[in-house]
Amino acid sequence: MLPINDYSQQVKLKSDRMMNHFLAGFFITGLIFAGFYDTWIIALCVGSISLFAYYLTKYIWPESNAYQYVLSGVFAVFMAQYIFQMHGLFEMHFVAFIGSAILITYQNWKLQIPIAVAVVIHHALFGYLQFMGMSSIYFTQLEYMDLSTFIIHVSFASFIFFLCGLWSYNIKKYTEQFIKQSYEIGRLQIADKQREELCKANMELDKFVYGVSHDLRAPLKSISGIVTITEEETTDPAIKEYMEMIKGSITRLDDFIVDILNYSRNARAEIRESDVDFEGMLKDIKENLKYMGDDHRMVNIYLNINSKKPFRSDKSRISVVLNNLISNAIRYQNPSVTDAYVEVNVITDETEAVITIKDNGIGINKEQHAKIFEMFYRVTENSVGSGLGLYLVKETIDKLNGLIQIDSEPGVGTSFKLNIPNLFHQI
Amino acid sequence: METETFIFKKVMIIDDTKIDRYIASHTMKKTNFAREIIEFDLAKKAIVYLEENQHLPEALPEIIILDVRMPEMDGFQFLERLSLLPQSLKQSCCIVMLSSSLDPADHDRAERNPVVKKFMNKPLSKANLEEIKKLYSDFHQTEKVSV
Repeated sequence: MLPINDYSQQVKLKSDRMMNHFLAGFFITGLIFAGFYDTWIIALCVGSISLFAYYLTKYIWPESNAYQYVLSGVFAVFMAQYIFQMHGLFEMHFVAFIGSAILITYQNWKLQIPIAVAVVIHHALFGYLQFMGMSSIYFTQLEYMDLSTFIIHVSFASFIFFLCGLWSYNIKKYTEQFIKQSYEIGRLQIADKQREELCKANMELDKFVYGVSHDLRAPLKSISGIVTITEEETTDPAIKEYMEMIKGSITRLDDFIVDILNYSRNARAEIRESDVDFEGMLKDIKENLKYMGDDHRMVNIYLNINSKKPFRSDKSRISVVLNNLISNAIRYQNPSVTDAYVEVNVITDETEAVITIKDNGIGINKEQHAKIFEMFYRVTENSVGSGLGLYLVKETIDKLNGLIQIDSEPGVGTSFKLNIPNLFHQI
Repeated sequence: METETFIFKKVMIIDDTKIDRYIASHTMKKTNFAREIIEFDLAKKAIVYLEENQHLPEALPEIIILDVRMPEMDGFQFLERLSLLPQSLKQSCCIVMLSSSLDPADHDRAERNPVVKKFMNKPLSKANLEEIKKLYSDFHQTEKVSV
C-alpha cells in the first residue's frame, strides 16, 4: 500500500501548487471585471476573504483535506462574485463549471459537493430574490427566470458536477489499480529472482555437502577394506578383536557422517512428493541392516504392511526415519532375551500412515522420554551413536507434518508410533 | 598354480585411489575371481587401452569395476567416451560402478545408464564379488536369449 500513499501525496502537492496559480488568476479576473461596472470594493473584499479562507484553512490543517473543500466553496463564491460584478452576465455562470473541472485534479469526487451545494443555493436564492423584484441583485439579465428554467439550469449544472465527480473517482480508481499492479509485478519479479537465487544456492550447497561427505567417507571405506582383509588373514585372536574394534569405530564415524548429511538435507530441501511403497522400502532397509547386529546373534525383523490405499509423501525422508528407528532397535537389543526382534507395522488409509516400530530391546527410562529427541542427547554412556539419530527423526517427522510418540520400559522394550499425513488427496 | 581355476579371465579396475585398487585386486586374488587384473589409476588410460584393443577379444575385460569420482575424467565421463566405441565391446563386458558417494544423483545416473549393471558401495567385499558373478551370468543369459 505504500506506493499508493506516496502517489496520493504527490497528487496533492502538485494540485496544491496549481491552485496557487488558479486562485491568483481568479482574483486578478475579479479586478479586471471591476472595471466594467466599477465593482472594485466587491472584487477586493470578496476576493480577499475567499483567498484568506482558503490559505488560513490550509495553514491550520495542512495534513487534512479541509482546505480543498473550502477551495470548492471558494470557486462557487468567485462565480457569484463575477455574476454580480458583470451585472448578471449569463456567461459568468460557466465559472462554476471551470471550478468544477479544476477540482478533478485532486481525484476526489466528494470535492464536487460544496461547489454544487453552493451553486444551487446561490441560484435558488438570488433567482428568487430577483424574481421577487429586489433591486441590485444582478443575478441574471434574462427576463424569464421562472421555476422551470431554474430546474433546468440546476439539473444541467448538477449533471456537470456529477460528471466531474465521476472522472475524479475513475481516475483515482484506475491509477490506484495501475500502481497496485505494477507494484505486484515488481514484487513478483523480485520474488522470482530470490527463488532462483535460493535454488542455485541450495544446489551449490548440495554439491558441497555431498562432495564433503564423499571425501570424508572415501578414506574411511579404504580403512574398512584393509581392516576386513587383515581380519580375514590373521589367526591371532587378539588382532581379530582389535580389527573388530576398529570396525566399530569406522561404523560410528560413518553413521555420524550420514546423519549430518541427512540433517542438512532435511533442513534445506523441499518436500519431494512421490508414491511411497512401504513394502519395497522396508525390504531394502531390512536387507541393508542384515549384517548390522551382533555377530553372534541376529535380530529378527518382522514386517506387517497393510497398505491398500495409495500413499504419497516424501520417500527419502520416510526412509531416513525408518532406517534410523530400525537400526536403533537392532543396536540396543537386550542381550538377556533369546528372541531379539523388531516388529514394524504399517497401516495406511486416505488420511495418514500409522507406523509402529516395536522391539524387545533394553528400553529407555520414563524420565528420559522427553529428552531423547534433543540434539546430541545420548540415553546411556553405552550409547554408540552420535546423539543425532532421534533428533534427526523428530526433525524429519516435523517436516512431514507428522507425529511421533514413544512408549518404552527398561528391560521390556521400546515402541515408536508414527503418524505421517497422506498427501494423496491434497494435490 | 597351473591347475587353479578362475571365474573370469580378465577384470579391469579403474580407481584413482591406490589403496582401493589394492583392496579390490587383493579380494579378487583371494577368491580366484580373475586370472588377470588390469588396474588403471586414470579413466583416460583405460579408454586408451580399450580403444587400442577393441579388435582383440582376448585382451578385453569381462568385468569393469569403475569408480565414480576421479580427477580429470570421472566415471560418467568414462561411460560417455565408452559409448563411442563399438557395440560388441560394450556387450562383452559387464560394468559395475563402485563409490562411497551418497549423492542420489550419482545413484540415479548410474541406474539410468543401461551399460551399468549395478551401483555398489565401497569397499569391495567378497559378497560384492559374488553378486557381480551372478550379474554377469544373468547378463549373458539374457544376451543369449535376445540373440
